[in-house]
Amino acid sequence: MSVLRPFRATDMFKFNNINLDIWTETYGISFYLTYLSRWPDLCCVQEAPNGHMMGYVIGKAEGHGQDWHGHVTALTVAPEYRRLSLARKMMSLLEMVSDETYKGFFVDLYVRCTNSVAISMYEGLGYSVYRRVREYYGSLGLGRASKDEEDAFDMRKPLSRDPHRRSVRANGREFVVSAHDVS
Amino acid sequence: MSTALDRQIRPIYDALDTQSNKSAVLACNKVLKKQPNNVLVKALKALALVRLQKVEESLLLADEVLAKKPTDDGVLTAMMHVLRGLGRHSDIVAMFETAYKQHPQNEDLGTQTFFANVRVGNWKAAQQVATKMHKQFQDDRYLYWSIFSAVLQANDMATPEALRPVLLKLALRLISSGNTPSYFNPDRFYVHLLILRELEMYDDAATLLNHEIGQKICETSLVCDEIRRDIMKLKGACKQEGEQAKVKILEKKDRNWLEFLSLLDATFWDIASTSEPASEDVKAAVTEEIAKTRKVFSEAATVDGLKDRSGLLALLELEKRTKSHGLWTDACEIRMMAENYFSQFGDKACCYEDLLPYLAFEGEELEQWTSFLNSRKSFDTPDTLQRSINVYKLLRYNLTSAELTPELELARAQEYIKVYLDGLKFGVNLPDTELQPADDFAILVGHAYVSLWKLTGEESHLQSAAATLEYASARSKQSYRIRLLLIRIYHLLGAPALALDHYRLMNVKQVQTDTLSHLILSRAAMWSLAPLGDITYMSECMEASQIYMSNSTEVCNLLLILFAIVMTNIQTAEFIARAFSTERYSQIIDFIEFEDRLDNSLQRDLMKVEHVRMRVAHEPLNAELVDMELIELKFIFDRIHHDNRDFEVIPNYQPRCQPSFNEQTLPLKPPGAGWLSAYLKVYIRAFQEASDLDETVEDKLLIGDRPKPSNDPENQLPLRERLVKKRQEEIDDLSEDEKLFYEYTLALSEWVGPYHDYVRPPPSALLAEAAKSNDLKPGHPLKSMAAAANGSATNGHSKKDEEPPAVKESPELIPKFFDDMKSRFDAVISGTALPSELLHIVATTQEAYLLFALETVRFKPNSIIKQYKFGQLAQSFKDLRVKASSILNEMSTVLAKLGEEVATPDGRKAFVQASSSIQDSSGFDHDFVLGVAKKTTDARKQTYEGIAKGLAKVVKNHS
Ligand SMILES: CC(C)(COP(=O)(O)OP(=O)(O)OC[C@H]1O[C@@H](n2cnc3c(N)ncnc32)[C@H](O)[C@@H]1OP(=O)(O)O)[C@@H](O)C(=O)NCCC(=O)NCCS
Repeated sequence: MSVLRPFRATDMFKFNNINLDIWTETYGISFYLTYLSRWPDLCCVQEAPNGHMMGYVIGKAEGHGQDWHGHVTALTVAPEYRRLSLARKMMSLLEMVSDETYKGFFVDLYVRCTNSVAISMYEGLGYSVYRRVREYYGSLGLGRASKDEEDAFDMRKPLSRDPHRRSVRANGREFVVSAHDVS
Repeated sequence: MSTALDRQIRPIYDALDTQSNKSAVLACNKVLKKQPNNVLVKALKALALVRLQKVEESLLLADEVLAKKPTDDGVLTAMMHVLRGLGRHSDIVAMFETAYKQHPQNEDLGTQTFFANVRVGNWKAAQQVATKMHKQFQDDRYLYWSIFSAVLQANDMATPEALRPVLLKLALRLISSGNTPSYFNPDRFYVHLLILRELEMYDDAATLLNHEIGQKICETSLVCDEIRRDIMKLKGACKQEGEQAKVKILEKKDRNWLEFLSLLDATFWDIASTSEPASEDVKAAVTEEIAKTRKVFSEAATVDGLKDRSGLLALLELEKRTKSHGLWTDACEIRMMAENYFSQFGDKACCYEDLLPYLAFEGEELEQWTSFLNSRKSFDTPDTLQRSINVYKLLRYNLTSAELTPELELARAQEYIKVYLDGLKFGVNLPDTELQPADDFAILVGHAYVSLWKLTGEESHLQSAAATLEYASARSKQSYRIRLLLIRIYHLLGAPALALDHYRLMNVKQVQTDTLSHLILSRAAMWSLAPLGDITYMSECMEASQIYMSNSTEVCNLLLILFAIVMTNIQTAEFIARAFSTERYSQIIDFIEFEDRLDNSLQRDLMKVEHVRMRVAHEPLNAELVDMELIELKFIFDRIHHDNRDFEVIPNYQPRCQPSFNEQTLPLKPPGAGWLSAYLKVYIRAFQEASDLDETVEDKLLIGDRPKPSNDPENQLPLRERLVKKRQEEIDDLSEDEKLFYEYTLALSEWVGPYHDYVRPPPSALLAEAAKSNDLKPGHPLKSMAAAANGSATNGHSKKDEEPPAVKESPELIPKFFDDMKSRFDAVISGTALPSELLHIVATTQEAYLLFALETVRFKPNSIIKQYKFGQLAQSFKDLRVKASSILNEMSTVLAKLGEEVATPDGRKAFVQASSSIQDSSGFDHDFVLGVAKKTTDARKQTYEGIAKGLAKVVKNHS
């Protein structure tokens, strides 16, 4: 149970309980404002009845031709509100808007190869690994030098405009590219 | 441009592009030698100069260029950057306006003029430009620019009340004049709805919304749907909304809590919408509605099972509202529902906060609820562990004051520790990026010990809390919640360095510094070792303030992007246009609010004041410091502040009859707007007296726009009057010691002020002096004033007609302040007060001493004393300084001794013994507790000794 509402610029004053979590990056102000000014309908917040922010998703639409798609830039739920289907609901909203409003062919996202919770969740939601991107992320700063931590999986899910599932492939985990090859 | 010229100018652009500003200047000079009147080159040179911080030269050139009324694209662009660099935004507007007037057919100039006005929030002018453009170019986007500018003008605080509806009606008229209806795109539709809502034309809005396209827009646009809900509520169409919500909940399985709230509101509408007492008939009707709604919620709950908690929670809310409207409900209904809710969702972390609003049980109900919870403790699996955490939190929430005795709290603390240590087994295999499932038990331990400290006043409990939480933090490195508690506790224990460590590990950055830096920077001056040259806290302030510097331009530019996007989407293909166009106008309003809240953030200026307080302790009190800070603080003084600080992020599981953890662990009441105002007045007054800058001089020296004056009638009074006016809001915000300090500073400046005024060189003399030394240029901090303030330059210029003011004895209050602080200090030393309280007293006394130094530095030179016959005054100063110095030195000695004592093996042993309760109860390792003890006592020693040395240094520097 939660209030689903648009992400507002002033939410940046309230998102600490979510962003202090290690898996969630806090970007510069212009990052959020750029998303809000360009794809406000791909940015939404789940809020508890007492006004606390529970989680949010920030997305965009990008690509050319067959590559035109919705992209999940950040999806996060505060630890105390996990396993309440909030991520599932926000993803389905983002997919709906990517499909109906933007008419994209698929939705994609990047996730650290070590973030097993998120990966299995995305798989459960119908996403599959399209390719592995080397050194996509910075280190988590935990003093380890694990490659997996810095590599990302690019995961995708086709939308209704791609009925033949051309935007995904079966053995994506073996398909490795470097961070320079993706934008 | 001829190719020859092009060849000459290219290198200038290249140099500018690569930030080689010096070579850009050289390249410009080369061209200017041959073509001294080339406006473009002058503009580019001005740009290179402003980037090189050669403000005055740049200014001269910029003014030359502006006088030529440029219309050339290249010149305008260069000048825009120059003027932005100089902070002269209003000149940018004027420049584009002038250019556009000369070429009214130039669409690009029109757009630039519009943007320039947007950038400075000049909505009225923006609206006029857009209207003109619409007439000229016949494009609906300009119509909507003008409409939305009118809306923003109506929203602007500075717009008179009576003008607002006029502007909104104008906007509405403009909408109907468009070639396409507003629902052509959701953006415009939103604007239309917004205007109708502001004009309270709800029926018209409803007509739009009930239209097929209107409904469709609201389905995919959360922003339109939000304003739709709002309008329907204002229209009183609650019941209609309720019916729709019912359909959405049952048929579309919509689980947005807003739908549940709509149905709840509709259910009670007949009672809640009037202030009249409800008749029996109405009550009966509402009771019937309640029954129907109950069925809807129950059905949702049954369908969802464990998948969604909306249905069950809505049932609780329904019962609660039924009861609060005085309608009949079984006394045990809410409790039974809460139990049911717990049975289903007790293994979710949010169960605790979900249930809180419904748990105000008393008597029999409370007993039953408590025994229900007690029977639900179990620790077999991770899920039951989470359930037990909720049990313990919920039990704690309803503890009565009778149950909050030291003995019982201690027993609870020990039980929490036991279950915490047991619970760790569920997390042994987790990677270090995961939180430990048992963390919240450790957090409960922290709560119990803080409560024990509050009940008994014994510091040992805080030490136990620190030891347990450190233990937990080491096992759950990502738990920022544990760190938050530790930060508070370490401050109380006088170990700020450890608090700072934890804060840094939380990796607070970007906009978070605005909301969270209060954790370590509230009254940071009291922890600072600035007198010793340790600038840790000063740098923290500077770093945390970065966000404000970079933000203001960002928001402006983004506002422009917003308008620009509206522009592109009209030209692009239909589906992309629709995709891009959702609600950017609503974003504009949010962005403006965001910018306002960040620019005028309370924390921003609290940090500024802390920085000044530390700077005064760190640096020599010369005119450079005084003049610069005076100007900066005066800029801040008129702001209307917004408090963005986040205190909610600090966990709270204290019983409802107790203050929250946050409130309990604040060393002092957090500084608010009143505190800020008091301290701004203190420092502005002191700087003003110490400075030779007077308003007329200041005006000559300032470049850039001044802040927009606020409309507060208080701010219309002359500054001098405002500075001596004490307001209740200020007093209420100050600690007891700060109140004494505030009075002291008022007495001090009242006493010394007249002598300053007499000795201060007249502005004319000052300006002449500065001009002579070739230093009086706008934008240049008054370096030459240093000499002036030290007395040497004033001789000869200050022949005044009046007699010097008669020398008066120092007011009673001044020596008394130091005596009072001394006895406060002695009392605290011999009592059980915490280090934080002790350090607050010391810091306040030191600050008073520094202000005294600041207020008397002008009268130090013998020449001044002789010339004005201030011998007696100088003697009073000296007496006071001696008195204050000896008190500060005494404090320093005592602190240094205390510092030595804490960090001895005995001191540590005391710490370990004090936390014996956590050792008895558990598998806590003696060595671990000893380690925490060592860290804490070392940190405290470091603070005490540093501050002690700092005191001595301050005394020495200013004796
Ligand atoms: C990943 C994350 C967003 C999931 O949010 P959430 O609201 O808890 O997820 P949901 O409740 O919607 O879960 C959807 C499904 O994902 C799976 N899932 C989610 N979290 C899981 C976990 N910890 N363990 C196992 N499965 C999990 C489950 O199948 C779940 O369905 P179920 O609860 O019906 O079994 C959240 O854990 C998070 O914010 N993590 C940190 C940030 C992050 O990693 N973001 C992703 C980076 S791209």
